[in-house]
Amino acid sequence: MNTLAYIIYLLITYLITVRVGFVFYRNGRIFILDLLKNDVSLTDAINRILLVGYYLVNLGYAALMISTWDEIISWTGLLFSVVFMTSKILLTLAVMHYCNMLVIYLISKRNKSIFHP
Amino acid sequence: MEPTLNFIAYLIYLPVVIILTWYVAHTLFKNSKVFMLDIFHGKTDIATATNKLFETGFYLLNLGFAFWIMEISYGIGSNRSMLEVLSAKIGGFCIYLGIMLFFNLYLFFRGRRIAKAKSLALAPLPKVEG
Repeated sequence: MNTLAYIIYLLITYLITVRVGFVFYRNGRIFILDLLKNDVSLTDAINRILLVGYYLVNLGYAALMISTWDEIISWTGLLFSVVFMTSKILLTLAVMHYCNMLVIYLISKRNKSIFHP
Repeated sequence: MEPTLNFIAYLIYLPVVIILTWYVAHTLFKNSKVFMLDIFHGKTDIATATNKLFETGFYLLNLGFAFWIMEISYGIGSNRSMLEVLSAKIGGFCIYLGIMLFFNLYLFFRGRRIAKAKSLALAPLPKVEG
């Protein structure tokens, strides 16, 4: 039953990663625009590169986690292990997301103190 | 091996926590727009973007935590013990969610206070007559 679990797990992580990445892509643009002082073409380029990097890291991590999977023998075990692995991915994403927001906040604070005293 | 009720318990637990998280996040971030507009001095685009980012982070963190604590490590024998386990789990998650809600609210109030103090400090001095 491991194959079934892998298929469900990859489907869920793929959906979550792509949706969350799209939300970050759309809403993070304005922050990069602010940091780069309204340089639109450079912002779009950096934003797209960041999106691709984010997809690579997350989907790679999700695929890597499959190698640590236990043997599944029952439906209960299948449901539990899929949900547990998804929770690991979600928590990792959350931690990364909050770190990113902290970094953006710190950079914008430093820029303000230098350029707009 | 005797049949256990763990599977049914999981099937009840998952929709309950998902709907609970959705409801709390929906309510919180619908009403936090006012705070964000205050914090960013009425710049709508950056306020909406920050709001959306906070909302996504809230979902990720709380759903991740809810899924993380789902495990019931022993086999449930009777309906009664299933109800007890489920109520303990969902109640604990509700309290955690409430703490996160008030923590976010505290962050919003703090940001608003700091933004107000800054705009007061940057405001031009009133002209003195004479």
